[in-house]
Amino acid sequence: MDFFSLIEELSPEYGPAGFEDRVRDLLWQKLTPLCDETWTDTMGNLIGVKRSVQPDAKKLLLDAHMDEVGLIVTGIENGFLRFGNLGGIDARVLPATTVTVLTQDGPLPGVIDTMPPHALSTEDMDKAVPMDALVIDVGMTQAEAEAAVPLGTPVAFCTRPERLAGERITGKSLDDRACAAMLLLVLEELKNTALPVDLYVMFSVQEELGTRGAGCGVYGIDPDWALVLDVTHAKTPDARSVTLMDLGGGPAIGVGPNMTRAISDTLIRLAKETVSPYQLEIMSGSSGTNAWPIQISRGGIAVGVLSLPLRYMHTPQEVIDGRDAEYMVRLVTEFVRRIEEVRAW
Amino acid sequence: MVNAHTPLMETLTDLCRLPGVSGWEDTVRRFIAAQACPWADRMETDTMGNLMVFRKGRAAGKTLMLCAHMDEVGVIVTGITGDGYLKFDFVGGVDRRVVIGKSVYLGEKAIPGVIGIKAHHLSKGEGQKSVPAVTDLCIDIGTDTREQAEAMVSLGTVGTFAPDSAVFGHGLFQSKAIDDRLGCAVLLELLKDQPACDTWFVFTVQEEVGTRGASTVAWHVRPDAALIVEGTTAADLPGVPAHKTICKVGSGAVLPFMDRGTLYDRRMRAMLVELAQQNAIPWQTKEMIAGGTDASAIQRSLGGIPVAGVAAPLRNIHSPASIGALSDFEAVYRIAGLFMEEFAKEKEI
Repeated sequence: MDFFSLIEELSPEYGPAGFEDRVRDLLWQKLTPLCDETWTDTMGNLIGVKRSVQPDAKKLLLDAHMDEVGLIVTGIENGFLRFGNLGGIDARVLPATTVTVLTQDGPLPGVIDTMPPHALSTEDMDKAVPMDALVIDVGMTQAEAEAAVPLGTPVAFCTRPERLAGERITGKSLDDRACAAMLLLVLEELKNTALPVDLYVMFSVQEELGTRGAGCGVYGIDPDWALVLDVTHAKTPDARSVTLMDLGGGPAIGVGPNMTRAISDTLIRLAKETVSPYQLEIMSGSSGTNAWPIQISRGGIAVGVLSLPLRYMHTPQEVIDGRDAEYMVRLVTEFVRRIEEVRAW
Repeated sequence: MVNAHTPLMETLTDLCRLPGVSGWEDTVRRFIAAQACPWADRMETDTMGNLMVFRKGRAAGKTLMLCAHMDEVGVIVTGITGDGYLKFDFVGGVDRRVVIGKSVYLGEKAIPGVIGIKAHHLSKGEGQKSVPAVTDLCIDIGTDTREQAEAMVSLGTVGTFAPDSAVFGHGLFQSKAIDDRLGCAVLLELLKDQPACDTWFVFTVQEEVGTRGASTVAWHVRPDAALIVEGTTAADLPGVPAHKTICKVGSGAVLPFMDRGTLYDRRMRAMLVELAQQNAIPWQTKEMIAGGTDASAIQRSLGGIPVAGVAAPLRNIHSPASIGALSDFEAVYRIAGLFMEEFAKEKEI
């Protein structure tokens, strides 16, 4: 297993928030040989455990969400599909985008049509087309579309991942499949390690709808510590604030009230000790990740957030740097090995 | 269901995959020349880069010219930033709203790049109502410094949209560059049969930047008339008022009487309409005066040349995912073929 070949498998698979079936099946295949036991819970979270050699060991949970942003069919007009969003999408990336309509009978190709300039006034040309003015073209008549695409059918982006210069990679749903890939690599690293704790891995659902899956998942697992692996904003040409991460600058260690300080501090110390590049991501409130519900599950759970810098989040062409992933796998592996060094208060 | 594996569709799919931004049509020209070679009586490329393929007619007398343009819209690198992003402009008319969040492939090595936009979390609300100017957009090829970027591309490197295509739905085809590889594919299929009269099959360059290539072809070919085979804008979408739809995908070949560049020859157009009707080939016309073709340059070449057009309606024209109907492509091919026969018999033109 190497990172890019995992991305080549995980990124194109479909799993819009709430409709994760396909990507869950794929992840389940990958997870099974790396764990002692795997299962899914009521919400659809996929969970695996690799047990410690010690009986009654403490539990560490590593989480990455399996879902991705997508669209959902809300109406059919002259055979064209009207749609809403599953998760936050800037409608400006949609015109002339190819998509996959995920019907019960299988994936159907579609294109989000765009009004040609002649049909618009000059001032309209400078306006973004709102989502409710866009349609998906599936090349069908009204009757055909009604039969093939029931309302409520999910729709996903369908970009194939590609390598850019250096170690850069572009593709859809690298948020958060890149982290799912990294978790598999961490488990692979630890294959022959006698663990000090029971290691739980959760590929959670519905993160993009407002971290809805992880809270229930963590309740069932009842871990002593949790580390959430997600993505965070890297600087882009149109967003260069110093508070954004540098792509290629190493994983971002979350610091703020949503992250238990002892975990953030341990991550920073381990990164320094292993001379692994890292950045600090200061979050004054919610991290916008699964750490938000996890932190207050049951009687409270010690949680940390480690994020992969990513450009153009929630678009069909996200961009990450493979070096960041490499550093992040190293840091997470070290964190698991030395989890008992985390001291509460 | 329409057959997606006709020679016409296979040629079209091959052609759409090739890069051919206006002024850089070399790959397309090489492909077409190789395909046409076994059938050609003569083949020439002029200074502009237009490829002209001659087939002798079964009878001598008149000379017909069929035209399709090889070039497509795309991007051209105009600058490289200190942190390794590429600034670009469009070659040909592209609505900047269709390139955001898309890939482009640059230069002969087809180096992938992404035209990104910042995450929606960072532009919520008002920020998402306006569209960034082209000068504010960048291509991200994954480099961090100007030096790294310069090792991969240079100023003037051109790029195309993604080369993938698909047949989908009820006989539709989706790809970049159907405008006008469809015309090229139709000409390539038609030139496999000996024509009724002497015929030049002309594959032009630089249509998308103002019918520049077509301006010189008549000088070489000196035809009695020209038929332009094209793709044309269709806006048959929900929310577009009927009078602005122009034409409809799947409703037949478009036989225009007028567009922004040309009033088409009335006799030739009447012949086309009659042929379509006699042979029960679906046809429609443009119900709005919009667009333009190589016909405008050819009509005013030399002392004037009669011109007509036949086109396939395309949604999302000049975008990474234009859409046309296989049935319309077939109708364009059949009408153009019938016209070649009829024109040879016609005494008046």
